[in-house]
Amino acid sequence: MKDSNISENDVITQPVKIAARNVQVYYGDNHAIKDVNVEIDDKTVTAFIGPSGCGKSTFLRCINRMNDTIDICRVTGDIEIDGEDIYDRKVDPVQLRAKVGMVFQKPNPFPKSIYDNVAYGPRIHGLARNKAELDDIVERALKRGAIWNEVKDRLNEPGTGLSGGQQQRLCIARAVATEPEVLLMDEPCSALDPIATAQVEELIDELRQNYSVVIVTHSMQQAARVSQKTAFFHLGHLVEFGDTDKIFTAPEDPRTESYITGRIG
Amino acid sequence: MTQLFSSISASVLVLIVLGLGIVGYVTMRSRAIASGGGDARNLHSLPSYYGANAAMMIAIPSLLVMVLWMLLQPMVIQNTVIKLIPDQMVSEGSSVGLVMSDVRRIADGLDAAVAQGAMSGQEAAGLDAVETDVRSRLAEVGVALGSDVQAPILAAAQKYRLLSQSWRAAMVAVVLVMALAGLGFAYRQTDKDFRARNVVEAGVKGLLIIAASLAILTTVGIVFSMLFESINFFRMHPWQDFFLGGSWAPNFRGNSDLSILPLLWGTLYISFIALLVAVPIGLFAAIYLSEYAGPKVRSAAKPLLEILAGIPTIVYGLFALLTVGPFLVNIFGRGDNGVLGVDWMSGATSVLTAGLVMGIMLIPFVSSLSDDIINAVPQSLRDGSYGLGATHSETVRQVILPAALPGIVGAILLAASRAIGETMIVVLGAGAIARFSGNPFEGMTTITTRIVSQLTGDTDFASAETLVAFALGLTLFVLTLALNVLALYIVRKYREQYE
Repeated sequence: MKDSNISENDVITQPVKIAARNVQVYYGDNHAIKDVNVEIDDKTVTAFIGPSGCGKSTFLRCINRMNDTIDICRVTGDIEIDGEDIYDRKVDPVQLRAKVGMVFQKPNPFPKSIYDNVAYGPRIHGLARNKAELDDIVERALKRGAIWNEVKDRLNEPGTGLSGGQQQRLCIARAVATEPEVLLMDEPCSALDPIATAQVEELIDELRQNYSVVIVTHSMQQAARVSQKTAFFHLGHLVEFGDTDKIFTAPEDPRTESYITGRIG
Repeated sequence: MTQLFSSISASVLVLIVLGLGIVGYVTMRSRAIASGGGDARNLHSLPSYYGANAAMMIAIPSLLVMVLWMLLQPMVIQNTVIKLIPDQMVSEGSSVGLVMSDVRRIADGLDAAVAQGAMSGQEAAGLDAVETDVRSRLAEVGVALGSDVQAPILAAAQKYRLLSQSWRAAMVAVVLVMALAGLGFAYRQTDKDFRARNVVEAGVKGLLIIAASLAILTTVGIVFSMLFESINFFRMHPWQDFFLGGSWAPNFRGNSDLSILPLLWGTLYISFIALLVAVPIGLFAAIYLSEYAGPKVRSAAKPLLEILAGIPTIVYGLFALLTVGPFLVNIFGRGDNGVLGVDWMSGATSVLTAGLVMGIMLIPFVSSLSDDIINAVPQSLRDGSYGLGATHSETVRQVILPAALPGIVGAILLAASRAIGETMIVVLGAGAIARFSGNPFEGMTTITTRIVSQLTGDTDFASAETLVAFALGLTLFVLTLALNVLALYIVRKYREQYE
């Protein structure tokens, strides 16, 4: 499956950002992820698709070690970012998560002002030396989250008062503010209406300029629209991984074809 | 007939009605089945609903009438009987209540005498206070009277007996008629098309409403009884002194200073110290239990902490008096023999003693409520914070606590209202001296302690010194009610945010 990395369309081949080898995840006795090998490129949008419960979100949460916060969860195998094993003892998961940002399924702004929401990451990591720098970081993040124009006049209002789509873009801006290298998105549009979804998808495409973006989605149309690479998960296995165009037009595995054509899932 | 009815006691009457109910249940159940041609599937409702409907129709209205009757009967009889007693006797004997209790006592004595066969019914009705020594006659049957019986009182007692007998008989008759009418009504209703299920459903709802309104009415009753006694107090004592005066010096010869302010100061000071102890410890315990502790520690520690809430406050009071007080005296008192070599504290009872122990009592309140509130903060907020590279304590401090703050404030206010209303700990641990002082090593007194001391021992309910207890109680009630309402408002507002 790795050899499908060879690009067939106009995507410029990028260096590998995340490499996973033989990753197994257990929830207690339940073997949730079985033997996943994948290489995710830099400055590319990679989509994880698959039926519910197939392990795609679980695998996503391995990449920033969010699974560490769940007591019964155990991860084995290697995941490397830029050639460095993130499950190594030396790696501080807290530092790792600053480098690998995450956007969640449900918009989860903190019950603070819009400004404080975005400034949260930079503050705890000490990214700004003074107020002016912090203002600058917040403004840049909100602009990158494509929400600046909507909120610039009410930065001190609570983030929870925004609409669903605005909240999700605020959360993206919040994740971007810590200058991550990888952005993980766990079904970022599932709680949004079509207009907000379109705005977020447009934003994801722009974020590709700077980050490696990994997005879990239930919508195959969305995967086709925003991603260059697609991985299909089924029952904890990574069934097929390759260029999005190829997965959707000429899948190799019969299971992928069945899922795409709506026969399983 | 009257004789027979009046001899049926209330509990027997209840049993008769309930028995009728059971009879109604069984007969109406089988009647319903019969009306469906022997097949329960032809009925609108299950057969037992027809039975329950009958039992309901028989028992509920008749028992309700019985309860009301028994509540009203003494008032009606008293109003009739009291007219037989000359006015000047009432004023001599201090109050209507006292005279009436004499009347009731003699009437009961006559009843007892008749029951024991020492007197015939006619004899009891025809006694003459001048000819017979009623006191000694009653003493023979074991009823002791305080003084010789005067003619009007004896007449009243005889009238009282007569009236209660006939009213009792009337009650029994009415209740039985109502029960039978209920049976007849249910008999006419019971038919295969009758919607017994819906009627029983409405009956169940009615029962639940009665239960709920009884609880509420009791509260209203308590408030009103305090309100009336407080009004009596303010008729005897100027409200300016009560609310604005500077000293508390009750004097049972009258003319005392009865100001709430020194007591309020003591109450608030002790509560403040209690919260100073309970809030940090309770809050940190809640944070540890909800955020850091593993499931095993949590399942063991939480019940252990809640045991504190189950300890009776009198036990806390003993703990304050016998353990904490002497311990504090050892540290802060005794001059050169003490731990610190100072002599700030002379007795075991002090603001600090009561405050510390009350604080310990409040820890489980604060921790348990805060724990629930912290757990109610959505996991997605924690994930969001971890996802940005925040550590556990950063997440707690900057995301979870701010999100939970309104709820925690509510929990603290609830704890504060507990502290203000707490009695036993301060009775034993705080001392009895009412004063304004900032020294926590001195004894002070609280509103609750003073209520206890004003109402214990020989009390005269016509004096301001006793009635002040009700005014104090009412003020305390208003204070804690306001705190509770505020706390619930804050907690509810917070809940809406995340649901």
